Amino acid sequence: MKSQLLTDNKMPFCPGCGHGVAVNHLSKALIELGYDPLDIIIVSDIGCSGLVDPLFTTHTVHGLHGRSPALGMGVSMGLADENKKIIVVQGDGGATIGLQHLMEAARRNVDITLLVFNNLLYGMTGGQISGLSTGKFKELKHFEEGIPPFDIIKLAHQAGAASSARVISPKNFNESIKNAIQTKGFSVLELASVCPSYGIKKLKELEDFAEEAEVFTNDRILPKIEYKETDSLFNNLKAIDQEFESNITDKMGFVLSGSAGGGVQSAAKLLAQAGMMSGLYATMKGEYPVTVGTGFSVAEVILSRKPIHYTGLEHPDIIFVVSNDGLQKVKNRISPDTKVFIDDHLSLDAHHVTRGAYVKNGGKKGAALNALASWIDQTHYLDNKALLKAVNQHKHADKLLAAMPDSAVV
Amino acid sequence: MLENIHRKKVLTDASLLITEACVQAGADAFIGYPITPSNRFYAYGAKRYPLFLAAPDEITVLQWMAGLSTAGKLPVTATAFPGFALMLEGFNMAYMMELPMVIILTQRLGPSTGSATTGAQGDLSLLNGCISGGYPVPVFCPSNFEDAWQLANESIKTAIDFRTPVVLLTSKEMVMTQKSFDLSLLAKISPVNRDPKNIALPYKSYKANNDLIPPFLPVGNDEHQVRINASTHDNEGLIRKGNPESLANTKRLKEKFEKRMEKITFYELDEDKGSKDLIVTYGISTEAAKDTVIKLRYEGKKVSLLVVKTLLPVSKNILEIINSYEQVTFVEENISGQYEKIIYGAASKANVKNVNKIGSLISPTEIEKVLAL
Repeated sequence: MKSQLLTDNKMPFCPGCGHGVAVNHLSKALIELGYDPLDIIIVSDIGCSGLVDPLFTTHTVHGLHGRSPALGMGVSMGLADENKKIIVVQGDGGATIGLQHLMEAARRNVDITLLVFNNLLYGMTGGQISGLSTGKFKELKHFEEGIPPFDIIKLAHQAGAASSARVISPKNFNESIKNAIQTKGFSVLELASVCPSYGIKKLKELEDFAEEAEVFTNDRILPKIEYKETDSLFNNLKAIDQEFESNITDKMGFVLSGSAGGGVQSAAKLLAQAGMMSGLYATMKGEYPVTVGTGFSVAEVILSRKPIHYTGLEHPDIIFVVSNDGLQKVKNRISPDTKVFIDDHLSLDAHHVTRGAYVKNGGKKGAALNALASWIDQTHYLDNKALLKAVNQHKHADKLLAAMPDSAVV
Repeated sequence: MLENIHRKKVLTDASLLITEACVQAGADAFIGYPITPSNRFYAYGAKRYPLFLAAPDEITVLQWMAGLSTAGKLPVTATAFPGFALMLEGFNMAYMMELPMVIILTQRLGPSTGSATTGAQGDLSLLNGCISGGYPVPVFCPSNFEDAWQLANESIKTAIDFRTPVVLLTSKEMVMTQKSFDLSLLAKISPVNRDPKNIALPYKSYKANNDLIPPFLPVGNDEHQVRINASTHDNEGLIRKGNPESLANTKRLKEKFEKRMEKITFYELDEDKGSKDLIVTYGISTEAAKDTVIKLRYEGKKVSLLVVKTLLPVSKNILEIINSYEQVTFVEENISGQYEKIIYGAASKANVKNVNKIGSLISPTEIEKVLAL
């Protein structure tokens, strides 16, 4: 049967192949539902079922083995147009290798129809058994007895597919395909197919080999895919202008070290901001374990009169240490010239060590800021007011202020 | 918007600049799967792109991107090597299908999962051979914040103009370090024009124009049938094995870049007239090399610096510059000198030195020591 949905190209399938039956039913169902070819996008997979593209006058996308449901989801979310119908065709091998994509499509209820032509085997590579081959199908029994096939229809249903069904007899193909196509959201239909070269040869034997016919539905809302106008990320960046003076004449490198959750990274950022408010160039970077909530937390800040190129710190000028985690991480970086400001509960033997009750006065979460503010207050490399202004702009300004020494909060 | 900002100094990072540039240049969607050190792209992406999708894995990321791209949208993702390894299948598919998209690959210390929060420049060799058959992929590599902005823009433009996936190759140090930065240094970005030019009728999805690019129409359009194909295909987009038209279509994937390579060749040459020495570097090793050059020149020594921003395909212009120096030193944060090997192959050359390192940024001192001027 030829129609305006099918091209004049000859069916590429072996004589008697069930895939040709499925293709003809698909074309007939689409015509009966009134679809224009250019309102349909057929997304095909690898394998014999992936040879369908040239047969259709619709848009076609020919992808990879098992990935076509994911690719079809992408087309659907890209078009975001309910008037366009995306039909994905794959075989039982594709459904096996790409099972995750089927589950994801069902979970999200993406508006596509997936047709799985299940001929119970890999036809292009010699008739090997797939994850959808049934135990009853014993032509090539290279898997152990008692291993059931994936029931992708039940799986899809449990994952949330709006509709999922298996149809065995070709006389029911038309109605089942129409139901699948008319579903809003994700529908999957497994169609039993014969492989005359490696599998069962006769349509009438299908019912003996295939799993039972099944039909399930879920009441799902169609997700809305919207391409929204958004605001520039620059709108949320705070402009930092020079308001204060600094006694840093050239360049200073700082390391702040403590433990996760100890406010080390935010103190470093405040130092960088205070530096910028003092007319200096600044860089800041953090280092912490992948599990950000435990272990050390180290931050490096460079403040400079001149633009900063290399952002590494070979010889830090100042190191703040407020916890043992931090000390272990940075102790190898202390040189004879480094000035170390360390909490008084920690012991360290180095040339220039200043001790302070940073944890006691700033609290565990404010110790790094307390050490930094104390250093500024004592050395005047920066103006106390610069750090204070940076702190006051922070969303948790109250808590931060409480962690600073009184003399620095004027 | 930018034109209203007068010398706005901010503390920011390149993840933000790249995200903003991609969207201003016309990117429609960010498809993300979380991975360190590309996390900020994910966070900024969720706020800024017109559509943000959280994919269940990186295989899906590329499939969704390809699907969006066939529908005429321009998708972006960001990942690191472990994620890119999963993307390679879909990346080859998108390359063969000739689908515009941008993949931001943030390098971290490997092999395998390596150290997620340590920077590196270790993925260039992989990119050089990542398409089966040895076809070239455009790879841009920013060396500072201005580059990050501009090359993100060029990535989007190149993806559309050459109908191809593009890799924006960054590193942890580039996209996670915060710096004081003046936003007024950024050039204005205009959205890329996607209107197809000179469509020959009847439309065939892979019938190339004089620039060897097939004018792109999305699937689902109401006038022309569109056929997209990942297998060897003819001009119409149908599988054709061993046919001259389809083989010509495959060869074209290489030729389209060669034909207009000058359009996508970006580099910065800081030439010291009369110098015999050239430092060649890229990405996160650039700033240390700049410091080295400043110091050496201050001491009265002569040295030139080439910062390569289009790493792949290797441009003739860049080769000419490199070949015009007596002594060349490649600076890159990997164990084997990956860019140097791409230029010269496995054979060692007497006039070539390498500064290589893993685990932390190469320092100016280390470059100076190898250079030994």
